[in-house]
Amino acid sequence: MTPPPRRPSVAADPDTTAFVRPYALTRGRTRPQYRLRLESVMHPGTGRPGPGLPEECGRITALCRARPRSVAELAGTLGCGLTPAKILISDLLAANVLVPGAAGGASDPDQALLLRLRAALTMKWLDE
Amino acid sequence: MFKVVIAGGFGAGKTTAVGAISDIPPLTTEERLTEASVPVDRLDHVASKTTTTVAFDFGRVGFTDPHPFELLLFGTPGQQRFSHLWYDVCSGAIGAVVLIDTRRLEDSFLAVSFFEQIRLPFIIAINPFDGAHLFPHEDVRQAVDIAPDIPVLCCDAREATQVAAALVTLVDHALTRLPTSLPLDI
Repeated sequence: MTPPPRRPSVAADPDTTAFVRPYALTRGRTRPQYRLRLESVMHPGTGRPGPGLPEECGRITALCRARPRSVAELAGTLGCGLTPAKILISDLLAANVLVPGAAGGASDPDQALLLRLRAALTMKWLDE
Repeated sequence: MFKVVIAGGFGAGKTTAVGAISDIPPLTTEERLTEASVPVDRLDHVASKTTTTVAFDFGRVGFTDPHPFELLLFGTPGQQRFSHLWYDVCSGAIGAVVLIDTRRLEDSFLAVSFFEQIRLPFIIAINPFDGAHLFPHEDVRQAVDIAPDIPVLCCDAREATQVAAALVTLVDHALTRLPTSLPLDI
């Protein structure tokens, strides 16, 4: 790892600018207001994104209207990093633009669920 | 909703494996972790912090029969230090496939130790790269030092059927790890 420059120039260091930009999206906030799991699925709600929200919020809303999506997929699609994405999703949840899917996400699967997954995998790829 | 973790060292084929069965092209998500570094003498007396980036791959498989459900695939690097991201990725997962390039076996050791520690069921999948010597599975088992009941198989990460077969093996292994209930008719 290279040592940090003595007089860091924010504009000149591509790594620093890449760091600053996502948190500019969140207006400096570094923690989401909700604890979101990677697998939490977001559905469209009845609220509308208010003015002042970054355009990424409109993108998240459009993506979830097309098909409910997990936090991990939304963050990967936006490409702004996981925590900034969680902060924006939290804003949309607070405004009821998004609502969380039932039961939040994965829990420890039981035998019946595992057998169901096994059958689905087999049917899709391994049955000839 | 199911989660599966695909772990492995750099270049072991994680992204390829995720992409082989995912309905969407694999997405890469980054998480920046800031941690205080070891204190060192610095003239400016500013507490120094280091920022590292941990990235994971994401893919999804949608099933419709009989009811719609999703399998989420998380590809995680195996040689990085564990972070809260590892716990987030593994929480609620049915298990992990540890992809191994036998030329860089040691890249898998941290992932294997981590899954053992959090008691997440895992299997070893040897990605048979061209030019890599094909070791007998028992030699790999011994080198990685895993329990005899942990499945070891060959899996070409480019082939959807082979990745799916590895997942079926993982599901079977996870089924053996479920807490067993006492039979009623003794």
